[in-house]
Amino acid sequence: MGPIITQLSESAIQLSGVTKSFASHVAVSDLSVAIPRESVFGLLGPNGAGKTTTLRMIMDILGPDSGTIQILGRPADRATRDRIGYMPEERGLYPRMVVEEQLAFFATLKGVPRSEALRRVGPWLERVGLAEWRKRRLNELSKGMQQKVQFVATVLPDPEILILDEPLSGLDPVAADAMRQTLLDLRRQGKTLVLSSHQMETVERLCDSIALIDRGRKLLDGPVREVKARHGKNTVVLAFDGDGAFLAGLPGVQRVIDFGRYVEIRLAEGSDPQAILREAAARLRLSRFEIVEPSLHDIFVEAVTSHGAAA
Amino acid sequence: MNRVYAVARREYLERVRSKAFLVSTILGPTLLASFMLAPILLARQRGRPLHVAILDASGALGGEVGQSLARRKVSGQERFVVEPRPAGTLEEARARLQERVVQGDLDGYLFLPRDALDRSAAEYYGKNVSNMMDLELMNKAVEEALVSRRLSSEGLDPQRVRSLTRAVDIKKVRLTARGAREDRGASFLLSLVLMMLLYTTLAVWGAAVMNGVIEEKTNRVVEVVVASLPASRLFAGKLLGVGAAGLTQFLIWAACLAAISAVGAAGIGDVGALPELSPLLLVAFVLFFLLGYFLYGSMYASIGAAVNTTQEAQSLVFPVMMPLILSVVFYPMVLSAPDSPLSVILSLVPFFAPLLMFLRMTAVSPPAWQVALSMLLMLATIAGITWAASRIYRVGILMYGKRPTFPEIIRWVGRS
Repeated sequence: MGPIITQLSESAIQLSGVTKSFASHVAVSDLSVAIPRESVFGLLGPNGAGKTTTLRMIMDILGPDSGTIQILGRPADRATRDRIGYMPEERGLYPRMVVEEQLAFFATLKGVPRSEALRRVGPWLERVGLAEWRKRRLNELSKGMQQKVQFVATVLPDPEILILDEPLSGLDPVAADAMRQTLLDLRRQGKTLVLSSHQMETVERLCDSIALIDRGRKLLDGPVREVKARHGKNTVVLAFDGDGAFLAGLPGVQRVIDFGRYVEIRLAEGSDPQAILREAAARLRLSRFEIVEPSLHDIFVEAVTSHGAAA
Repeated sequence: MNRVYAVARREYLERVRSKAFLVSTILGPTLLASFMLAPILLARQRGRPLHVAILDASGALGGEVGQSLARRKVSGQERFVVEPRPAGTLEEARARLQERVVQGDLDGYLFLPRDALDRSAAEYYGKNVSNMMDLELMNKAVEEALVSRRLSSEGLDPQRVRSLTRAVDIKKVRLTARGAREDRGASFLLSLVLMMLLYTTLAVWGAAVMNGVIEEKTNRVVEVVVASLPASRLFAGKLLGVGAAGLTQFLIWAACLAAISAVGAAGIGDVGALPELSPLLLVAFVLFFLLGYFLYGSMYASIGAAVNTTQEAQSLVFPVMMPLILSVVFYPMVLSAPDSPLSVILSLVPFFAPLLMFLRMTAVSPPAWQVALSMLLMLATIAGITWAASRIYRVGILMYGKRPTFPEIIRWVGRS
């Protein structure tokens, strides 16, 4: 008995057989996902896959037609909503409102007393480098700064779960690095982070586990390491000078993805990377040869295209 | 409840602190005051009297016309100063006068042709010939001189004829439970001003709610907000917050109006005919504003939720505006027969009541049960409308893309 209960309560968010349809289409179909506590989880999928609908159901903005959603071991409702911070992809703040007022307002909506919210504003603005903008109207800030304000508005109420849709978009490389660091800090503090992103590199660097959905259905999920291992060490990275057009025609090569400076060669099951190396070395000047796990990008593209072909 | 308050608080403060609010709240009463007081002040001060000369070609009328002009008084002051005619022939004198008018040391001259008496004709040459009130006065002066001359030549005494044919001035007195008050059309004016004030504020603050909703949708703030509290609470907070801002403005205006009417009732000079606003009427004024606001504001809000831009809202706003506009169309009918069955029925219809029942209250004192009934009917309608509007709102705020049609919006009410 004990282990089952432990396992259940280990999930920060648990979706079981969730289905939601609108007048014209099914947005989410029989979706079951478990998001572990105190980890970074990536919810992936192409545009229109049903990510936003799923997030809205987790936030109890929409109710599922069938299935259940558990938040921290309780059914999703108004009370659980206060324990989640949500930053939607389409950012939303009041353009003419002063930054400090804005942050205090969103915090009071989550049940934080106004005075307490105002106390927290200073340290957070300091942390994202916007301390001197506290009394300014939002529309005086640059896009990137507004993005940071939006993030602070999400974390200020100190929720246990953070749902961030494209958290790094609009940030310059320095700010993006700082944001990554902040996200990892939050996880170390015991928060659960749910990221939705199309930047596979970001996902790969930050996420402990992922779920990939397409057209409302889950295609795969699990810890990133497991997902990659499941796809086997069947990818060869090759960098070279010369014309590599012949590579696609070699026996055992399933697919060649050209990244410009290098190519990723996906091998059919059972074929030998060494054979590729011999053939390539004979015809090209190689500067790099490596046998790797497939990238999340590759797994994503493959899963979605084969799902599309099957449908 | 705290969160509804937080939403309302934000709405209220953001609006009341805005420049637009300050300008319209101060500018409104200023315009209103000048609109009501300007005629009074204008009547009292009309600048210095006009300096005119008389050029008489008939040779016999000049003196009498001059005396008649000199007799004209406005608020106890002479309006015309008659200057002597320059020496010389008629042509020389005319040239000299023309010169003086152009130079500006004379306002104008009156030319009486040779056959002025027969043709009842005269000509005025002036710097300014669009000062209607003064020219009207001049017309009257010349006319009086000519008529006196004709009467005398028939052997009649002009003084006596004038006193026998004096015009009638009917005094209008409005009887109320609190006694009689003389009225010279001011109470009609007051009814109209109060009703138009209700109309304007309802339309303006209704549109304010709608634009607020559209703005939140355009900025995508709404999704962040509904991730924290249910759409129905956001709707309630918004309606209350904007309403509080509207009420603030409305109270300032009503206070100004009460002040103006108190000053008017105290009697400024001879125009002391502005009726005073009874405290009861002021309370009703505020109540009808509030009821009207919740009725129309919630409908405006649901339209805001259904559309993506203000432009898209235009065509949907019309059906909502319709009853307000109709109220204004009906007002002359209601005001001319405030107690007719039709007026009573119209003023009980919840969508017309904010304007028409109040209008009746300014004109007559409708039975208390009618006022109470109209308010009850409005409250019931408001309960229904806000319920439906908040359901439309809930669906609409998360919808982007094609603007829904009216029937589609109505269907949202039933959606789970």
